[in-house]
Parts: sequence; structure tokens; C-alpha cells
Amino acid sequence: MKFAIALFAPSHAPSSRRALRFAQAALDGGHEIVRLFFYQDGVHSASANVVSPQDELDLAGEWRDFVQQRQLDAVVCIAAALRRGVLNAEEAQRYGRPAANLDAPWELSGLGQLHEAAQVADRLVCFGGQ
Amino acid sequence: MATLHVLSHSPFSDSRLTSCLRLLGPGDGLLLTGDAVYALQPHTVQLQALELLPTGIALYALEEDLLARALVAPERAQAVDYPAFVELCGRYQRVNSWL
Amino acid sequence: MSKSMLIISRQAPWAGPAAREALDIALAGGAFDLPLGLLFLDDGVFQLVAGQQPAALQQKDLGANLQALPMFGVEELYVSSRSLAERGLDAAQLVLPAQPLDDTALTLLLDRFDQVVTI
Repeated sequence: MKFAIALFAPSHAPSSRRALRFAQAALDGGHEIVRLFFYQDGVHSASANVVSPQDELDLAGEWRDFVQQRQLDAVVCIAAALRRGVLNAEEAQRYGRPAANLDAPWELSGLGQLHEAAQVADRLVCFGGQ
Repeated sequence: MATLHVLSHSPFSDSRLTSCLRLLGPGDGLLLTGDAVYALQPHTVQLQALELLPTGIALYALEEDLLARALVAPERAQAVDYPAFVELCGRYQRVNSWL
Repeated sequence: MSKSMLIISRQAPWAGPAAREALDIALAGGAFDLPLGLLFLDDGVFQLVAGQQPAALQQKDLGANLQALPMFGVEELYVSSRSLAERGLDAAQLVLPAQPLDDTALTLLLDRFDQVVTI
């Protein structure tokens, strides 16, 4: 089964962790993840700058490792990201901002990527809220 | 053509469960995750409402969220782990998360 | 054949970017000619009230984006008649020609779409 997974919450939200655990279970179960799409506050789940206390879960780091190790297509919505101050180096330069906080493996792109994933996948599963 | 509805908000402070219950069709499933598992809290009208759902509507709860909150799934509900959650998505035609 | 998507918009218009961002999903899908439906439910029905003045909150006019929906090919517009009634609103006075549906009709509506996203 092909899954498109959309995340609407930041890495400190329980739903971000649930999305990751679901994604891991999907791959471990032999399914395919067509794309991860981070939208609304989900763009923060892709932040390269989240610093978790040593004795706490580093979910942003886990997301990054998961995407890299499993070579997944991971997209962050550019409009939602800019509005929330999540910028890669290119956008930071374009808008004259002092720092970038979005890095590989995340790509900035548009909502078209969410729709494309939804068309290709058998199931679109969204996580967010709390 | 049934839908798996996924909730993650507490029913005591939020209206998503109420709205969702009104939209449930025969054969739909309801998966409680996060604070939505508080709907299984004993001696509440929320639990009553869930227990009154037609038997054709399946009720599930994410096991880790039950454990974290010292809740036990009643007979009416099935506790699921993540592999079961993934499998459920395939069993229903579509997944509607109440974000 | 393209998969169809129903977007259920539940947020009030001035509660942050959620209402606008839900709408953006609909407009993006419309721009790609995808079969979409948009349902306004719960506080989402407040997006359709006439005479709002978003400039008072230094916000952009959501109404302009709502009016753009048919131009983007999103013509299946629905509103929950219960949500309207709960909030003292009249379907005839909304800024969009959204079809009011009762709970039974809403249940059937979900069944018609391949995917549903509730924001």
C-alpha cells in the first residue's frame, strides 16, 4: 500500500511523534511512503534548530534521521514555512534574514506536491492538532 | 466505502468528538489517539455515547495513549499499536483525521 | 481518473492562518484541475458571513479567496445546516453559494470522495 503522510504540527506536539511512529510502522510493514508533506505548523517539525534537553526525545532529529536513512521524499510547504520563519539558506538570503533553519533532507515546495502525493498514494493520512 | 475517523483532542475541552459522532456512517471506524482516549474515561457521558454507537461502527484506541493515561479499553473498543493502525488504514476506504 | 478530495474547514476565519491555509489547499487542487469539494463545518461557517472587516485586524480579505473558488474550478461547496443553526446563521445570507446539508447528507457526502481532510 502506498501512503502519503501529511503533518500539520511541530515536533513538540504528540501528533508529530505519532506521525513518525506511523511512518516507521508503514515502512516496517512493507508499505511505501510516496511523500511526507509538512504543512501549517508542521513546518516546524523540519526545523534544523530545535534543541531538545538531553533527557528528552529529539523528535526533529529523529525525523531528519528517518528521512535520510529511508531516503524519503520530504517536502515542507514554502508558503507555510516562510510565514512561520522556517527558511533554508536560499530563502534566508532572498529575504535578507539572518539565519537559515531548514536544511537537507527537507525540500521547500508548494501545495501541488501534497496533491500530487494524494493522487499517487492509496491512502492520505494526516497528523496534526495536538 | 467506509471512513476511518481519527481523533486526537480531549472531548472535554473540544467539540471534535461531538461533530465526528454526527457524521459517522454505518461501517465507519473511529480511532482515538492522544487526548481523545479520554473519551474512554469511566462514568462519563462521552464513554456512554461511544458505547451507544451502533455495533457496525468499530471503535479503536491507540494503546500507548491508554497506558500513558492509566486508561483501560472497554469491551467495546480495541486497543491498537502502530502496525495495527497502519493495517486499519488499508481496511477502510479513506482516513479522515480531525486535525 | 483523478482521485477526489473533500476538504472540511472547521476553523473560524480570524483564529490564525488555519482557515486561509485550508482554503489554499482547495485553490491549489483546483489549479491542478482536481475534483474537490469544500465543506464548512462548526466554526468554519463563520468564514461565510457577509460584511466582515478583516482590515480591522490588519488581515487580508478571506472573502476574496472564497469568491475565487469557482474560478479555480471548485464548485462543490457545502455548509453544515446544523453548524449554521447553532450559530444563528442563515444559509441564504452567506457570501458563497454553499449548499446546506443536514447530518445525514453530510455522512453521505464523505462517502462520495476518495480522500477527506478535516482542518
